[in-house]
Formats: sequence, structure tokens, C-alpha cells
Amino acid sequence: MTDGAPTPEGRAEVLAPAVAAALRSAFETEWSRVVATLIRTTGDWDVAEEATSGAFERAATTWPRDGVPANPGAWLTTAARNLALDRLRRRGVETDKVREWIAMEALEGRTGGPPDPADVAIARDEPAWEDRLRLVFTCTHPALPMESRVALTLRTVGGLETSEIARAFFVPESTMAQRLVRAKRKIRNAGIPYRVPPPEALADRLDGVLAVLYLVSNEGYVASSGDRLQRVHLAVEAIRLTRLVVDLLPDAHEPHALLALMLLQHARAAARVDAGGELVPLEEQRREQWDRALIAEGLALLGPIPTSERGPYRVQAEIQAVHVSARTPDETDWAAIVRRYDELAGLMRGASPFVELARAIAIGMADGADHGLAALAALESSGRLAGYHLLPAAQADLLRRSGRADAAAARYRETIPLAPTAPERRFLERRLAEVEASAAPGPDR
Amino acid sequence: MEYALFYAEGDEPIAYVPAADDIGDWVDDLESRGASEYGERLRPDQDATTVRVRDGQLLVTDGPFTESKESIGGFDIIDVADLDEAIEIASRHPAAAFGRVEVRPFMQWPGAEPEARVVPAGFRERVASGRRYLMFVVAERQGRRAVIGDDGGEPTPTEDPMDDDPQAWVDEMDGRGTRLFGDVLRGPEDATFVSRRAGEVLVSDGPFAEAKEWIAGFDVLEVQGLAEAIEVASKHPMARGGTLELRPLWPFDVHDDHVARHEREAAERGIRVEPAAAEVLDEVGAGR
Repeated sequence: MTDGAPTPEGRAEVLAPAVAAALRSAFETEWSRVVATLIRTTGDWDVAEEATSGAFERAATTWPRDGVPANPGAWLTTAARNLALDRLRRRGVETDKVREWIAMEALEGRTGGPPDPADVAIARDEPAWEDRLRLVFTCTHPALPMESRVALTLRTVGGLETSEIARAFFVPESTMAQRLVRAKRKIRNAGIPYRVPPPEALADRLDGVLAVLYLVSNEGYVASSGDRLQRVHLAVEAIRLTRLVVDLLPDAHEPHALLALMLLQHARAAARVDAGGELVPLEEQRREQWDRALIAEGLALLGPIPTSERGPYRVQAEIQAVHVSARTPDETDWAAIVRRYDELAGLMRGASPFVELARAIAIGMADGADHGLAALAALESSGRLAGYHLLPAAQADLLRRSGRADAAAARYRETIPLAPTAPERRFLERRLAEVEASAAPGPDR
Repeated sequence: MEYALFYAEGDEPIAYVPAADDIGDWVDDLESRGASEYGERLRPDQDATTVRVRDGQLLVTDGPFTESKESIGGFDIIDVADLDEAIEIASRHPAAAFGRVEVRPFMQWPGAEPEARVVPAGFRERVASGRRYLMFVVAERQGRRAVIGDDGGEPTPTEDPMDDDPQAWVDEMDGRGTRLFGDVLRGPEDATFVSRRAGEVLVSDGPFAEAKEWIAGFDVLEVQGLAEAIEVASKHPMARGGTLELRPLWPFDVHDDHVARHEREAAERGIRVEPAAAEVLDEVGAGR
């Protein structure tokens, strides 16, 4: 397996801006579609991934020279198909499936040559979402270890490179590569089918799919590493896939709730960073930049449901709803948010330290910084979030709000080296500079 | 695709309720969909006999290969569309309700005939002409000859690759009419565990990815008695790098009244019906 998928960021430096933008956009919208289609046609995950990577590499050299094709998705699909075919032939793989496929390709006269305009229409007629859903259900199969499901979904559906996923989960790249290899090998060896489960099995498989989509969405909302705060294409991908699940299971509440949660988070994407890509905290965001259409759609998904049907995604979506419903930061109903976090801790049976952290912050905002700091101190002494940057960052923020600049500065210095993305680190450095300036004796003191 | 289903108590067993045992319906369903190849119940742990050869010495012990309570009480070999169908079938087996079912795919051999199956056609109609044993071929992670197949674990170098090839053993035992059939399984990393609790089907990747020892394959033997079974097992190449476990079959009528059957069998539980290994060792020595 190789990780030759071009990162749009990496290519952008040497390409004309229009071509770079087209490449980036194609990567974000077409990667999973091309991979999913190739897995269906070749039955070979490695070949599908390698060929898709190869097609993007080819695009990066061809498009600047010949121009961006009218239909980049069809171009990439055809290029990837040809690469896959070459690779399978060179390997001498003679499965029935490949023989059948080669015969079909030969019959249609599309073997080997440059992308054929006829393929444009063919590629567009393929039920692309069907393929992607197949891919999602296969990547999230319960016979795979949970960590492999998330990794495989990010790699195969999201197009993230193995090294990025490894950083996201704090494991060496070789470990992550091995995990992905094993997962794909189990899919093949154990006979995990490449399909959407039949209706009677769908509900059982749903929780697992939602769990993985939630993790993908989270990675999009706040990247766990890198130069950018968000990976918008992952958030968009998670929303698209969740929409499909909602369509597939219109009576299930949790897919609706998860979609609402994602939409309400994603509605703020443009306001969460400034023009330079720097982090803008919630209370400083220009709320007119929030996407009102997405907010309306998200809120509309949160119609009344019986209490017994309320699940973790529903409660988290409602927390987002409280935030987006406030016209100004001061209008935020923090007490309502604290109540939701209490409910969430109850639903999750045994509070997650991350829920406790968010709840402590909400208490600090609702009842005063000291109450929040007390809750954070309890969490800190439990040691369950050791090394996690948002614990000292939350302490620093509440100390800053209550005017304890020196103590805040100490916490900021603690959290800065732990910050996983550059925008978060720079934001914390700016805050540190602010509290240092306010703590330092001014010239007129 | 063919799978072996192994039934065991699992980590959190709940008590077996004979009145709730619907194995007959389960078997009927399997038969009606043409998914069943062969299945048997195995005599309990105390009738297991473990065979190893170390430094040329034959080591035979009474009891199963593992000290854990994960002893296997029965198995089925099924031929179904894919893992989802195997999981669905496994989840309705009575053992899923009180224990767990391990779903293991068989090794797929390159160049195998497409119509070839693990269990030979017509096998179930064949009348037994001796005592039948299931022989588990148990691989050990640290074992010198632990690796069977293409990816059964960490590649462990062997002293003489030909030693690992069980084909000579298969040819000999097939020729004697001793080995009825057998095959190699995919490794524990390709296993899936299925159970059913409070109506909910639980599927997991299994806790055995890091197992020190695991069932790498099995053969069904037909012999005159335990002594011959030990002799046959001791000649298997895996006796030197791994372990062979011999388990007598324990046939029963799946449509029986299971409450009555359970009561009838109560007297047999905990009592070894096999001769003690020590008693047959002389016989084995004579036969070698």
C-alpha cells in the first residue's frame, strides 16, 4: 500500500491558483466516490486506493498543461480505472471478476487509452452515493476493531493520508499503516460484504455507522493536527453521508440528531477562522457570518421527540442549538447548557472526561469562574485528561475572565506546547501576550 | 464462502437452560437454506487428550490444550454468501444466548476447484467404521512452527520448511482411511465473535488477536480408539511446534427433548470416558 494521495495543500505551492483550487475541490468531492467505485469494480481495496492516488497525481501534472477537464470527477474515475486495470494485469491477477471486467472494458473499447468523453456520461450515471454508502457500511463493520473502523473510514472515505490519521490518534505511522493493512485484510479474508445491509439488519448496524461519522465530523470540526483549524471537506463529507443515512432510515431519531449537530457546528465554520486562517473564539465570532440556512435546517431537525428517544447526539445538537440561538454572546443560556451536559453524562453512563470538561466550562460561564475552576481542578486531579491541551486552556480562560492575569499566564504557558494545530497554538499565544500585557506594570502605574 | 462456527462459553456465560434450547429449529433452518455442511457436539473437557512432541519425546496429557475456560463444546461448518450471513446464522444458535460463537473463515487455497468443499460430498451419509475424533491443530505464537498459511501470525523462521508441510501426513492418513477430512483456518485476527444477550446481537472482532495459542485448523479422524488417535496426532508436523487436541464427538439428536437429554447426560458430566493417556501410551509406543 502506498500513501501517494496528493495533499491539495502540498500541490498548491507550485500550481496556478485556479488549477490548485480545482485539484483541491476535486480531491474533496471526488476521492471517496472514485475509491468506492473502484472497490466495487475491482474488489481490491489496495488497488482501488493506489489507483485513485495515482489518478490524482496524474491530474496534478496533466491539468496544469492541458487545462482542468470539464468534468473532473469523470476524468479522475477513468484515469483511476485505467491505472487499476494496468496494475491488475501486471500482477497477473486472474480472478473471475477482473477477467469479466477486462472483457467488458475491451468490448467497450475503453481499455488503456486516454480518458474517453463517453466515460463522462457513464461515470455520471453511476449511483455514486450508493457506492459511498456501501463503503461506509463496510468500513464500519462490527467485525473490525473500532479503532480500525475509524481509521479506515478516514483513509478510504475521507481520503486522509495514513500519516495524518496516525497523528490524529497519537500512534506511530507504521502502527497506523499496519492497522489499515490488517483491516483491509480482514475484510477480504473474513468475507465482510461490500454492501449496504438489508433492511432487517440496518438498525443494528446504524449505531456503529453514526459513531464513525461523528468521529469523522469531529475531525473536520477541529482538526487533531496540522496547519488548519478545520478540515472543512471532512465535515462536509460527514454531513453528506449522514444525510444519506437519514434518508435511508427516516424514522430513526439519532441520525436526524447527528445531522442537526453537524449542521449547527458547520454553520459556524466560516466565522471560526479569520481571513488569515486564525482561530476566532465563539464570543468574538461575527455572528452574521454564521450560515443561517444551515442553522434553520439544523434546528428544524430537532422537533419534539419522546424523552425516552433522546440520545447523546440529540443532547449535543441541543447544546449547539442554544449557542446558535443566542444573538449575542451575553444572551447564551449557559444554565441550559449545563443541564444538557448533565443529561449527556447520564446518557453515556459513566461520564466521559471530555463531557466533564465541557460541563465545567459551562458551569464557569453560568455560575461564575470560581465554580468552573473548582470543577476543572477536580478533573485535573483525577489525571484523566493529562496532556490534553484544552484542560489548562479552559483553566487559563476562566482565570483570565476573572482578572487573575498571572495565574492565567501560567496556564497559557502550560497549554501552548500541547496545542495540536498551529491556529490553536497561535491563538493561545495571543491570549498569553494579552494577559502578560495586562499583568505587567504599565508605564503610568 | 465457508466458515467454521465454534461454540464456547465465552467470558461472561449465562447458565444453559435446556428448555430454551432450540437447536433443532436452528439445524432445520440451516438445512433448508442449504448452508449446512457438517456439525457435531464434542465430549466435554475432561475427555480431551492433548498431544505434543518435544525433542523427540511424545508428551500426552489428559484435558484440553488451554487452561482457560474457553473450551469448545461443538462446531459447525457452513457455506454461506458472506460474513453477514454467517453472523446472522451464528447469532441464532443456542450457544450464542448463553456463551459465544466464534466465526472463523477457512483458508482459501489458490487453484482450488470452485466446487470443492471442506466437507466431502456425501460425507454425512457415510457409516462410521470406527471411533471419530475431532483433532484440533493448535498453533503457538512463540512456536518454532507456528505459521500455517500466508498470514497466520508473525512470520517465524523455521529450520526446515518441509517439516511444516502437513501434506505427507495428510497423504498417509488419507491412505489409511484414518483422516476423513480437515482444513486450515484463517488466523485469529480474521475471527469474529457473536453472542446474543437480552435479544441484542453482539458482534466483535474477538479478544484473541494477541493470543499466544489458537486453533489453526482441524481434522476429523476415524480410528479404533484413543491409542490410534494419539499415534496419528503424534505424526502430524504441528505436534512438534504446536499442540494437537483430540476430542471425541458426542452425537445427540438435535430434535430431542433437551430437558430429558440434559438430565440423562448429567451422570456423564465430569467423568472421563476416554482411557487415561498413561494407560494407552504403551500401546502408542508399540504402534510407532
